[in-house]
Order: sequence, then C-alpha cells, then structure tokens
Amino acid sequence: MTLEPAHCAGDAPRTPLERGTDGLSRARRSERDQWLHRRRLERQLHDGAALRISALALQLGLVRHQVLDGEPGVDAAIDGLQDELHAALQELRDVAAQIYPPLLDEAGLGPALGEAVDRLGVAVRVDVADGRFGPAAEGVAYFAVTGCLEARGAGGDEVRVAGRREGEVLVLAVDGVDERLAEPAFDQVLCLGGTVEVAGGRGAGTITARIPCE
Amino acid sequence: MRVALAEDGALFREGLQMLLQAAGHEVVGSTADGDALVELLSSRPADVAILDIRMPPEPDGGLVTAERLRALHPGLGLLFLSHYAESHYLMRILQIGTEAIGYRLKEKVGSVDVLSDTLARIEAGEIVIEPVLAKRLVERPRADKRGVLTTLSERESDVLRLMAEGRSNNGIAAQLYVTPKAVEKHIASIFGKLNLHADTAAHHRRVLAVLTYLRSQRNGE
Repeated sequence: MTLEPAHCAGDAPRTPLERGTDGLSRARRSERDQWLHRRRLERQLHDGAALRISALALQLGLVRHQVLDGEPGVDAAIDGLQDELHAALQELRDVAAQIYPPLLDEAGLGPALGEAVDRLGVAVRVDVADGRFGPAAEGVAYFAVTGCLEARGAGGDEVRVAGRREGEVLVLAVDGVDERLAEPAFDQVLCLGGTVEVAGGRGAGTITARIPCE
Repeated sequence: MRVALAEDGALFREGLQMLLQAAGHEVVGSTADGDALVELLSSRPADVAILDIRMPPEPDGGLVTAERLRALHPGLGLLFLSHYAESHYLMRILQIGTEAIGYRLKEKVGSVDVLSDTLARIEAGEIVIEPVLAKRLVERPRADKRGVLTTLSERESDVLRLMAEGRSNNGIAAQLYVTPKAVEKHIASIFGKLNLHADTAAHHRRVLAVLTYLRSQRNGE
C-alpha cells in the first residue's frame, strides 16, 4: 500500500511540470527551504541565547568568588540564580531538539537516531549508513522515525530502523511497527517528493520511505 | 595550573578566562578556533587545554583539534566544553583518549570550585564526565540493559553513577561518606552482576568498561 500525498506546508499546486531552474518543483523547494530554516533557527539559539546564558553563569561564578567573604545570603542567592540559568538552558535545549536536533546537524542521521532512541527507552536497533543526506532529507527522516516510535510507545518486540543511500534517494525502513503509524509520522516524506509504502500488518509491519536527498 | 582555551563565542571565552584567573590559574592564551590553539600550544606549553566541541574548523572543531593535540603533546590534559551532553560525543572523546580527559556542560563549570576540581582531576590523569550525562546513562540505559541494572541496590547504583562520572575509589568514597574499602566491595559486586571482567584496580580501564557497557547495543556496535 502506498500513502497518498498529504497537505504540505507552503504547498501550492503539486504538479511535476511546475519546476524552477534547479529542476525541483516549487512545493518541494519550499519544503526543503523550511528545513534549512529550522536548522538555522537551532544554530541561532545555540550561538545566541544559549551561549549568552552560559556566559552569565560563569560571570555569576566570578561574582561569587569576589564576594567570598561577604554575606552568606549572597552565596545562597547566587546558587539560586545559577540554578535558574541552568533550568533556562535546559528549556532552550528541549526547544532546539524539536526544531532541529543539533546532533543531526553535526553528526548525521545515524548518531542522532541512536541518541534519540536511547532517550525514548524503546528497544530499537538503528542501522543507518554513514554519510550525509542533506538537511531536509535528514530532518524528515529523523522526525518520521522518532514520531513513529513515540506513537508506538515502549514494550513489544524490537523495532529495526535501517537507512541507506540509493543514488539520490535515502531509503529508510522501519520494521516491526503498526502500519497505521505510517500516515501521521511519514507525511513529511511526501511533501519532500518522496514515497511511503507499508507492508505486513498491524503490529509487525514495515514502513519503507524513499526520500530524495542531496 | 597553566591553561589554554579555544572557544568561538567571545562572551563565553572572556568569562571563562576571567574565572580561570580568579581561580589562580595561568591562562597561557585563548583563541577562537582549533587551528589557532594548535599554533599557540606549539610555542606556549600548558597543562590542560579547554576546547569547545562545536567551533571552527566546522562542524566539531574541538574534536579534530584534540586529536591533533593528543598526538603532538601526549601529556596535555584535554577538557571539552559543550552546550550539549551527548553520549555520541562521549564515545568519540573516549576514542581520542581515556586518560587526562574531560567532558562537561558549559554552564556547569561556572564556579571556581567546580572548575578547579575538574581541571585538577584531569591534570591528575582522570576521566571527568558531566554528572548529568553519567546519571542519564545509568538511569536510562538501553532497553536490553535495563533488567540487569534493576538488580543493583540503591547504593550500588550510586557507585555506578559516580564511576560513570570517572571518579576514583577515593573520590566515590568521599562523595558517599563511606570508606574506600566499602567502595571496592560495591564495585566488585556491581562487576559481578553486570558480568564485567575488567581489572578493577586500573582506574581508566574500569571507567571505560562501565561506559562501554552502558552504551553498547546487544550485538555490539
């Protein structure tokens, strides 16, 4: 069974005839630009607000050192402020992870999925080929897989996630999940001009996505 | 202690430099990228180099720079700072070296005591791992390790977490207010339950065995 095209962000008529100078359809180009934009936003958080708050934590540490012989109340107040800064940074990290995971940007699909799976605590075997597939394909693949695993929940048999390159296509297979998880989780694949096929059945199906990549 | 640092964010770099000086360390130089740090250290010796992981040369200049530094100056301690505590980076760092090496979150070295303790442990040859990351590895292990880890007593879990932070027996003993002898007994019991056969007397090998165990998949990775 193949998934039907969904509504995509920045969508317009999705006819293959409508192509720009780079040979991509307008819808697919707009989709790709959105992923580049998300990656830029994450970098902006990292290089901007996050770094500024980390520097503040250091400056507070310096203040504490300078007033070491001062009021004991000052020490406790600085502790409290540093704890607040740490909490703010953690919130920024959580937001950044939903925009575009930094590890996906820096290390690629395999490492980012490996780390995500560890945090979800689901029994998953990740086997993604080394190498990079471009920010859009990697973003789509990452959120499709993690969305699918989050919806599935813990327990059950081991899920296998495999990714490999076939020419200019990233072939991503998720094995051992309910086929009904394909539609919500893999919608974005269609927006990027890819295809999604499901086989098997409830509980132990295989979702295979073919995602155009760089 | 003589410290060199490389960090591309000017605000953080300057803050760290001031905190290091306040802690009584000599900052032999600070640079905005890894290549400049290698250049600096070719003429100015240091005891520990502090590196931001995500800096030029992109994307993870801290790691490539550290590999070069470890080859050029094997006695130089390395401390990685990052905005993220990821086990992926921890494993890459342990490939660079398992002695005199550390990985901490940027905001967590924001006190003279913590900064000096971290640097002193690295200079003494220890591995220093961000407690948040060590805690996550022990408390949220990979699915196939969860069963075994629940067989540990609460005290053994504490010891395992502190081992994953890279702490020595004496360090663990001090944190838990017990004797080093008691720590040794806990460690022997943990290694028995996890079925690990590392030389428990060799600190680096022991930390490495624990971390590899917590990170590796069933069929190896």
